[in-house]
Amino acid sequence: MTQNPEVEERIRGFVLKQFPRARKNGLQPGDKWLQNGLIDSLGILDLVHFLEEEFSIQASDEELTPENFESLSAVVAFAEMKVSSLSTEELPANERPLAK
Amino acid sequence: MVCLIWHLLRESNRRMPDKEALIHGDQRLTYGEVARRTAGLATSLRRSGLKRGDRVGIYLEASIPQVISIFGVSQGEGVYVPINALLHPEQVMHIARDCGMKVLITTAAKMAALAEILPEIPSLEFLVITGEGEAAEQRVPVHNFERMCATKLPETWRESAIEKDLAAILYTSGSTGKPKGVMLSHANVVAGSRIVSTYLEITDKERILAVLPFSFDAGMNQLMTVFEKGGTLVLINFTFAREIVQTLLKERITGLAGVPTLWSLLAQPNSTLRKQPLPDLRYITNTGGAMPQPVLKILREALPAARVFLMYGLTEAFRSTYLPPEELDRRPTSMGRAIPDTEILVLTEQGELCKPGEVGELVHRGPTVSLGYWNRPADTARVLRPNPLLPPEMGDCEKVCFSGDLVRMDEDGFLYFVGRRDAMIKSSGFRISPTEVEEVLFQSGKLRGAAVIGLPDETLGQVIKAFVVPRDGEILDISTLLETCAEKMPSYMVPKSVEVISDLPKTSSGKVDYPALRRREEL
Repeated sequence: MTQNPEVEERIRGFVLKQFPRARKNGLQPGDKWLQNGLIDSLGILDLVHFLEEEFSIQASDEELTPENFESLSAVVAFAEMKVSSLSTEELPANERPLAK
Repeated sequence: MVCLIWHLLRESNRRMPDKEALIHGDQRLTYGEVARRTAGLATSLRRSGLKRGDRVGIYLEASIPQVISIFGVSQGEGVYVPINALLHPEQVMHIARDCGMKVLITTAAKMAALAEILPEIPSLEFLVITGEGEAAEQRVPVHNFERMCATKLPETWRESAIEKDLAAILYTSGSTGKPKGVMLSHANVVAGSRIVSTYLEITDKERILAVLPFSFDAGMNQLMTVFEKGGTLVLINFTFAREIVQTLLKERITGLAGVPTLWSLLAQPNSTLRKQPLPDLRYITNTGGAMPQPVLKILREALPAARVFLMYGLTEAFRSTYLPPEELDRRPTSMGRAIPDTEILVLTEQGELCKPGEVGELVHRGPTVSLGYWNRPADTARVLRPNPLLPPEMGDCEKVCFSGDLVRMDEDGFLYFVGRRDAMIKSSGFRISPTEVEEVLFQSGKLRGAAVIGLPDETLGQVIKAFVVPRDGEILDISTLLETCAEKMPSYMVPKSVEVISDLPKTSSGKVDYPALRRREEL
């Protein structure tokens, strides 16, 4: 899947800011951050909160799964899927989540 | 007769060997299977050189080998030292050196992460590795856990340990210095199990989900109550609250214990707990800090059939108080009253009983008062002191535990938490010593002063705020400073905010004035 570089940068920026160990060790899109302990259950809450605010999306509990959150690329794919499923047609272009 | 921890397992195995004892994912073990593996491990540990009283570290995630290790070390007459899997090599090294660890049970992956510190543990005689992965060559022998468990118990097995013997050392932080090892005897742990299983009315029908780590006294107590009564314990490794709810449902869990942070996770607006009826869940218990009232309200709405027990304990006395569910509406902010066979005293600074409503220190007397701190007689003497209320004719025959927690008691004997006597911080259920965090901040080499305090936080109880004074001429990069912290400490110890100040407030004796820092934050 092609990923929107801007979405990836916004999420990466948040993770680097929020989790100091990510800054120290660098962050590859495919790094399994749940397995290597970089992000724990509370970290996931912060990340979900960020996604909801930043992209005006709502993540349901059913969507909070390891598949959607195991790595940067998984989260980017999840965020893009959620954003594209929003009805953005009614919003003026400058208020669409990805134009933020 | 149950005297030692592993006797809890022995008796349940005798009564119901085919009963399901332990579940983890798709692994399911009966009491018979757990008892056989435990006996195998005990036998092999002794053959490999374990002696009565030797300390064995257990550095594993929640897993079947972790439980087998606890009982196997107990049956082998060693002392088990559970190490939270979240800890980093620095903290593991402190624990191992402090307790003179002779054996460490861990995984190949964790052993690789410990490569640099293993040579720094002179007392270490052998390692035991469980699970997948090749273990690298070490200066000490490395044994295979699964092979050890498959050994048969010889008919000549003899037991010499008694209930007064040291059974476990649980590491916990205080207000200063590095974590200290609280020594628990077999009698302490068995009494804790008997008391808690009584007031929670645990039977062999109980199915408990173990979310709390066994390095935490309440987590270990859950394991003991289940094995005492012949119930079933379900282990879980989770990241998402939903995984807990799914397991509650799938395994028809009847009892769940948590700390406030866990309940906050489960009470999030989008949580499945709020949509999913859980008819089997007959009780929940909270410990490790006060449950926020809004979270309590959500849980009670979402789980109308579950009884809610608010509990309080400190590792030094294992378990102390609980609020009976029927009192919850009348005294929602109370931490309850003494657990069975235990007396809680509220004492003035002069060691006299406080009047109802008067603030004093919570002092615990009963069979779960620990043996003190490993190799720290001065610290032990501060916390475990002779009971000041005994008639002088009885001498110093009984030690009681001074908790450092300030409380008041109402007319009916119910207790209310007021605050800490010292600067200890509590976050996500963990006790954190300010000095331990400050030492790591100093390791950056860029600071002249550092002091941390706890700020109130709805989800975590408290979060850490650091005040730092850069060395002269040093340009401080906060981001790099926090990276250093995150490398050396688990995330619950890393400050959430850092403020650079020109000087730390000091008391007249030249120590950091923590109350002044708290006042600065309007606390």
